[in-house]
Amino acid sequence: MELQAVLMAAGGGSRMMDLTYNTRKPLLPVGNKPLIWYPLNLLERVGFEEVIVITTKEVQKMISTDPKMKLDVKMKLDIVCIQEDADMGTADALRHIQQKIKTDILVVSCDLITDAALHEVVDLFRAHNATLSMLMSKAHEFTETVPGQKGKKKTGEQRDFVGVDGTGKRLLFMANEADLDKGLVIRKSIMRKLPRMHIKTGLVDAHLYCLKKSVVDFLADNKSVSSIRGELVPYLVRKQFSKSMTSPNVNDEADQKLKKKDGNANLEIQILSRDEVLLQLTRERSCWNDHRGDMSEAYHGVRLRCYVHIMDEGMCYRVNTLAAYIEANRLAPKLFDEPAVHPSAAISVRCLIGADSIIGASCQISDKASIKRSMIGASTTVREKVKVTNSIIMHGVTIEEGCNIQGSVICSNTVIGRGADIKYCLVGSAQRIEPEAERTNEVIVGTDQLMEI
Amino acid sequence: MSSRGGKQKKGNVTSEQEEEEQPLQAVLVADSFNRRFFPISKDQPRALLPLGNVAMIDYTLEFLTSTGVQETFVFCCWMSNKIKDHLLKSKWCRPTSPNVVHIITSDLYRSLGDVLRDVDAKNLVRNDFILVYGDVVSNIDVSQALQEHRHRRKVDKNISVMTMVFKESSPGHKSRCEEDDVIVAMDSKSKRVLHYQKTQGLKKLQFPMNIFQHGSDEFEIRHDLLDCHISICSPQVAELFTDNFDYQTRNDFVRGILVNEEILGNQIHLYVTQDGYGARVSNLQMYDSVSSDMVRRWVYPLTPEANFTDQQGQGCTHSRHNVYRGAEVSLGHGSQMEENVLIGRDTSIGANCHISNSVIGNNCTIGDNVVLDRAHMWNNVHISSNVEIHQSVVCDGAVVKEAVHLNKQCVLAYNVVIGPNLSLPDGTVVSMHHPEEEEEDDDDEFLSDDQEVGHSKDKTRQKAFQLEVLGTLQRGLEENIVCDNLVLEINSLKYAYNITLKEVMQILTRVVLEYPFQQQGTQLTTLQYTGSLLPTWSPVFKNYIKRAQDHLDCLSAVEELFLEQDTHQTAMVKVLMKMYQLEILEEEAILKWFSTGATNDKSRQLRKNQGVSTTLQSLYITARKALCGERDCFPVRRTSVCGTVRPVQTPGLNTEVFLSSSAPEVYPVVERSRG
Repeated sequence: MELQAVLMAAGGGSRMMDLTYNTRKPLLPVGNKPLIWYPLNLLERVGFEEVIVITTKEVQKMISTDPKMKLDVKMKLDIVCIQEDADMGTADALRHIQQKIKTDILVVSCDLITDAALHEVVDLFRAHNATLSMLMSKAHEFTETVPGQKGKKKTGEQRDFVGVDGTGKRLLFMANEADLDKGLVIRKSIMRKLPRMHIKTGLVDAHLYCLKKSVVDFLADNKSVSSIRGELVPYLVRKQFSKSMTSPNVNDEADQKLKKKDGNANLEIQILSRDEVLLQLTRERSCWNDHRGDMSEAYHGVRLRCYVHIMDEGMCYRVNTLAAYIEANRLAPKLFDEPAVHPSAAISVRCLIGADSIIGASCQISDKASIKRSMIGASTTVREKVKVTNSIIMHGVTIEEGCNIQGSVICSNTVIGRGADIKYCLVGSAQRIEPEAERTNEVIVGTDQLMEI
Repeated sequence: MSSRGGKQKKGNVTSEQEEEEQPLQAVLVADSFNRRFFPISKDQPRALLPLGNVAMIDYTLEFLTSTGVQETFVFCCWMSNKIKDHLLKSKWCRPTSPNVVHIITSDLYRSLGDVLRDVDAKNLVRNDFILVYGDVVSNIDVSQALQEHRHRRKVDKNISVMTMVFKESSPGHKSRCEEDDVIVAMDSKSKRVLHYQKTQGLKKLQFPMNIFQHGSDEFEIRHDLLDCHISICSPQVAELFTDNFDYQTRNDFVRGILVNEEILGNQIHLYVTQDGYGARVSNLQMYDSVSSDMVRRWVYPLTPEANFTDQQGQGCTHSRHNVYRGAEVSLGHGSQMEENVLIGRDTSIGANCHISNSVIGNNCTIGDNVVLDRAHMWNNVHISSNVEIHQSVVCDGAVVKEAVHLNKQCVLAYNVVIGPNLSLPDGTVVSMHHPEEEEEDDDDEFLSDDQEVGHSKDKTRQKAFQLEVLGTLQRGLEENIVCDNLVLEINSLKYAYNITLKEVMQILTRVVLEYPFQQQGTQLTTLQYTGSLLPTWSPVFKNYIKRAQDHLDCLSAVEELFLEQDTHQTAMVKVLMKMYQLEILEEEAILKWFSTGATNDKSRQLRKNQGVSTTLQSLYITARKALCGERDCFPVRRTSVCGTVRPVQTPGLNTEVFLSSSAPEVYPVVERSRG
């Protein structure tokens, strides 16, 4: 086994609380499948047979019991539960499962929906014997109107600056705009080695990482790192050019000396990807080099290398905001070829269902209903003369006669009264909208949920 | 109506055509405005120095002509007559020349800025023009860059004012000049320059965040660019130089435009070429690399045998291993021309010579058993037998006698006669000009700020200045003024009295050292004297004493003073010690002064003073320990050397030849006193 897959599915979805209050993020329905299905499917497609899933007890229970959440994957799922209130970061979670990890790992986040060719990332990892390789994509503009959001989206968001080398593969620099108040500072020595650096903003980190096993061991020893994206990746990127990493012969003797000297240096050395002897010999004898110009050895003797694959086209979404969730729902059906209407749904002959809509299992759709560009979850009842456009209706929802629902998200088990007109709203789960109500651009949630915030 | 419309349209078309058809102009600055080539540039302007036996300005003109320039303005300052003569004789001034050359000379140009301000004043350019120096060697076809530049100007309505031409070349490439290394931040899509900085001496490169806030999401930071010093300028460039009279160099201009981008709305773009050759011969290091690139045919079609200057007798043949031979070259028995050798016409080479990677000019004679490697010999050079020359420049008319050994990076300037039986250490520069003349009458230097131009021998002015300084310092002591403010005041006085920096320092030293006498009369004991010396003014001193030369000047001022006050000569040791302890003077400087400066009996007497020599002895030991510094690169060293001059008696030569050598030889006197 070359790579072990680890799926991080314990996140709470803190950036879309209204949606995740009742349904945990991994279980949010996207195209009538739980969100977690997408990364699992991605891994299965490329041939993984076993996945370690890190999640919470609640999610585990739902996956194993609720038939609606049944994951039709053939892989063996090794589900590891962590305590929800422990406030564990992704790196903490890796540390938690360190015992299970025997090889290099591929870490995927549960909110990733992509059609990326995974082998591109893994090939970079293999070809350069990298310590880290990751996936990024050009950020997409969300075109759909986001329910309950007044006015334009805030543009004051902090951008990430990602620096790659001339080939666009080697990751050289990574920082958030917020941390760069003194300007972007780069050491001249780095520029001498890698004279051409592309600085890109407007990239989405897919949260998909190939990591060397030694990195997990490093995490086990270094308990202060708690998040992969926030701390570990920037640390590794920075470490590429620190002095101790470039020194050509850190032999075991020096190792031991350093161990005695201070624990910290010892930790750093552990994450060196120590090239095997043969590999090193090959590199010495080969005329291959990763750079031009000066005649120094390949990689300038840097043994910790980070790479990134940046997708030019194709889709790559991280479902971590409401806008992304809506966009993912719109596009997800294109990812798999299943019938848009579930065979068990009871659909009247005299209703109108657009080709870009999905109807879940055992739905009831009555006469003269019109459904366009929408997703209807399982066991939902849609009565006569209902118009649903551009909306996401989760499972168990009842929509009474004559309703008009546009651009909204209706969470599970909600009842919408007769003749209600709902535009660009987010309706929480188990709500009851009175008949003839007219709501526009609102977030309708239960009072208990409000208290929470 | 319709016919009218048609007419208008026609009119537009013709005006556009006119715009297209206007001849392409170029501004060639045939002066470097610096003294990197001193002392060679004292006899010959840099633009006329031969590179591959052809004057550098010819390469520049050939480059301009081949890219389609039809009108060139050559601006000369230093030795403008020589340049003018050269151009008038050359093919550029023949009536058939496709490129009309106008020569404009003035002694008032002191920087590139002055030249461009003059361009604006005389209203010479009508359209986009190419700006180059007279020492650029290039075969880049800039028409593509020109097209991009014009397109940008059409689309953006004169926002882009300059397109700089760069060549891609990795760091560490030998045609990259260390001094000219730049880092450029650019917008990947629009090729706009966002940040431009010279990197010499920097460890960290800092980019302000506002350059990344222009809406683009992809930027490039490039350190793999070689600045070819070719820029395509809009006519506004000249106007902008006039508006901003403080712009001296192109660097000032670029930085000014980038900083004031939001206010002025001007932008600078760049053009990067992958192939083609472009380099500026900005110092001797670059001279060496460009010359060897030339012989190795990197600048094709500008090759030595092409004889593009179309001069009679300049032609040569090209044979294997890049060996070029001019007409009437004779080669003695057993001599080898290994590779990359260019030999000019009428040159004769003796037997058993070994020549590689060298350029030899016209009418040279070379004796037997000579070894030349990376030597650049100009015209009419005579080399006797058993000479060895490595990576050195030998200028016109130089005579190298028997068994002379030139180590790396030596320069023999015009008409120098050297030898026999001598070995010059690395980096020696030998010239007929006394290094001290440098400051007086070399018009080539205007750039560096700390160098003072203009001289005033007016004693009364100095005296007045001295009184003012004394008053300032006294007031500073009484009113407790911060030293920074004192420096400021002295600086303003310096300008008011038109005093050079050197004089400021000498006067300042004098004032401070005389201060105790003035306060308490001359009947002071040594102890009292030193006790009241230099109370709070050491920061003021430090501000003025920075370069090695400053140290020496200060020391000579001290010496002068104590020669006058012979009763207090013993105090001098204390003064020196104190200044050393306060880190005003460096031990190296003191030692240098001690070993070299003895000019007359009195000062020799002073040096023999017991205290002085013992103090210096201890200093010498510390200096020895500290002396492990690296050597500067070739061109920079020359300035650091200028303080240590000693005459060398050369038999058979009336003129004195001054030899400046590098540091390790400076201490023989002290050595003796130790023994």
